[in-house]
Amino acid sequence: MLGLFGTLSMANRSLQTQRSGTEVAGHNLANVNTPGYSRQRVAIETSFAIPTPIGPEGTGADAVAITQLREALIDRQIVSETSVRSAYEAKQQGLEFAQAALGQQIDRQATGAEGSAAASGVGGQHGIAEDLSDLFNAFQSLSTDPTSAIERQALISKAQNLATQFNQVSSRLSSLRSSLNDSLTSDVEQANIALNDIARLNDQIMTTEAGGKGQANDLRDLRQQRMEQLAKLVQIDTTTNANGGVDIAIDGVPLISGPKVLDTLETYDAGGGQFLVRTVTGGATTNIASGSMQGTIDARDNDLATLQTNIDTLASTLIREVNATHATGYGLQGTSGENFFNGANASDIAVNPNLADDPSRIQASGTAGAVGDNTVALALAQLADQKQSGLANQTFLENYGQTVAQVGQSLNGTNTQLTNQQIVERMLLGQRDAVIGVSIDEEMTDLIKFQRAFEASAKLITTVDEMLQTVLDLKR
Amino acid sequence: MRVTANTFPNNLLDELTSLSQRQNKLQTQAASGQLVRLPEDDPAAMRRILDLQAQGKSVAQYQRNIARDQELATASFNSMKALKQVTDRVREIAVSTDGLESPEDLKLYAKEVTELIKQAVQTANSRNGADYLFAGTLSDQPPFVLTTDADGNVTSVAYQGNTVLAENEIASGLTLSAQAVGANTSGGAPRGLITDSRVGADFFNHLISLQNNLLSGNVTAIANTDQPNLDKDEDNLLFHLGSNGALQSRLEATNALAAQHADTLDALVSKEADADLAQTLVRLSQTQTAYQAALQSAGKILGSSLLDYLR
Repeated sequence: MLGLFGTLSMANRSLQTQRSGTEVAGHNLANVNTPGYSRQRVAIETSFAIPTPIGPEGTGADAVAITQLREALIDRQIVSETSVRSAYEAKQQGLEFAQAALGQQIDRQATGAEGSAAASGVGGQHGIAEDLSDLFNAFQSLSTDPTSAIERQALISKAQNLATQFNQVSSRLSSLRSSLNDSLTSDVEQANIALNDIARLNDQIMTTEAGGKGQANDLRDLRQQRMEQLAKLVQIDTTTNANGGVDIAIDGVPLISGPKVLDTLETYDAGGGQFLVRTVTGGATTNIASGSMQGTIDARDNDLATLQTNIDTLASTLIREVNATHATGYGLQGTSGENFFNGANASDIAVNPNLADDPSRIQASGTAGAVGDNTVALALAQLADQKQSGLANQTFLENYGQTVAQVGQSLNGTNTQLTNQQIVERMLLGQRDAVIGVSIDEEMTDLIKFQRAFEASAKLITTVDEMLQTVLDLKR
Repeated sequence: MRVTANTFPNNLLDELTSLSQRQNKLQTQAASGQLVRLPEDDPAAMRRILDLQAQGKSVAQYQRNIARDQELATASFNSMKALKQVTDRVREIAVSTDGLESPEDLKLYAKEVTELIKQAVQTANSRNGADYLFAGTLSDQPPFVLTTDADGNVTSVAYQGNTVLAENEIASGLTLSAQAVGANTSGGAPRGLITDSRVGADFFNHLISLQNNLLSGNVTAIANTDQPNLDKDEDNLLFHLGSNGALQSRLEATNALAAQHADTLDALVSKEADADLAQTLVRLSQTQTAYQAALQSAGKILGSSLLDYLR
């Protein structure tokens, strides 16, 4: 038998229990928009029973724990899928920059000055393609009128346009490469910050949970969020320990063990400005499977590097072939043996200044003294249709077209992969939200539930109070 | 599935983002009229378009080359026509000397022939722009140089051009020359306009011979030698006029072919690159409807919760 005072204390405990229910519901409501927050529930159990002659008698209820609703499996999957999505995003960004650097687009509305093709209705192309066509057409025009100063000047100007276009694309690609290196370095810095944060949170969680005083829910939420931020940068392997700590390894190298940071990451130049990632203490190059670091490295070392090589090969083949043909010709004053282009690749291709200053030195004639001879100009024009062994047996324009298509192909493929990955991640996030997300309706209902129970417990106190009054009144 | 406070906003945001992206893409397609603009839009089509456009530009260039050749051919034709008028007159003179005995009359004719030689040399030294038409590739100097004696009679006309013709490309891999050389005594191609050893044409020397025979009153030589020679010269000139006509009609035909090719290329590029406007606009309006529906329904759902019904 509890007796009246026992019942009073039961009502008191009940008030506390219901109050903690409203407190937890309030905490949930307050965090409805907090990223990474998982909803909490107060666990209420019946209090111990007192044996009585008529059997064990209940003593009310106690709030025994505040638990959070988390699904470890979904959390792990999200960590790994985040890395994959982030890798595609980084790669997409790199490729979008590369596409922009190339500056190649189709403009069907181009008219007049923007391209002679516009006059024939096929539209213009901005970028190297247009300038390359223009150069060979200028050689054609010169071949029809080899003594014309106007055609010679026009040829120089078209050749200069092409050289400038090559220079610009090359310099844009170089600066893109160093931007990607910068982005990698910044990713590594952020990853180190996240590693420190996770170790600190591990420490706090382990301290809080030591002695079995329940889970440090909010700290765990924060740690999960930090781990997802880290996974965005680099793929991680996690191991959860019984003491609440999480160990983290990258590429098999343990970086965090409970509260301790064993190692951090740094970038280093593997030669030629190719930045890679390694561990600071261990010094081993880290093979990153995914995450934005991997996406950046992938775009830089594969697609971007190929693009840069292709553009350089195109420019150097053009320089070599045009010069070889041009050198055999004669200028209007009989000059011979001069190069048409100077330079070795896309970064430094330029029209020979001697020719630019005096276009009559362009060696269009195949015979000394025969100014009306156009054999060299014609041969230069016909280079446009010649398959080049250095360009995989393609013509200059075909080869450039393939280079453009390759960039487009990679970007297009990455766009598709990213979209697919986003769908996967979105589904997982949806699933997780269904488990951990706060529902205002639920919390409001809970609030009413606990409020009513609180009112009822209060009523119990007044009832017991009245009963005590009745007992006291017996004496009068 | 349990729906939480953030399920609606998150899903709505995802949907609105993807609808906005689609609207943006369709709007760009509608505004530019193009399905393919950047390499990422359709890499394979992009490559085909680049190739087709390069071809289109080449064709346009071939058309410009043809126009230039036509200009050259027309200029050559005009000079040939003028030379033909000279041969006509000279042959008239040669024929009319038959039976003429008076040395004075013959000298008068000789004087006219001398002038005609000068006129013919001037015509044969015609230029198109800065270039001499009939000098081969030595086009910076007059092909024919005339020498006269103290009496003003022509003693020689020397050819200082060469027999090389500059060829232009008028279609992929197809080159031709719209030029004719002044003289060719090598016996090989190309045929000389004034002098050609194969057919025995040597217009200026034959004229000089006529002039000299007129001066000396040698009417027999005129009848027996000069007249047949001048016939050969006229045949040679007619051959060139005929060739020029053939060249012009060939250029005309090639140009028509090039224009046709350009049209075909345009159609092909259009097929690859251009957006079907009707289809694009229908899709755009579908997407806009979906976007508006999303906004409207979200406005209703997000605005209401249990809180509205609790006091």
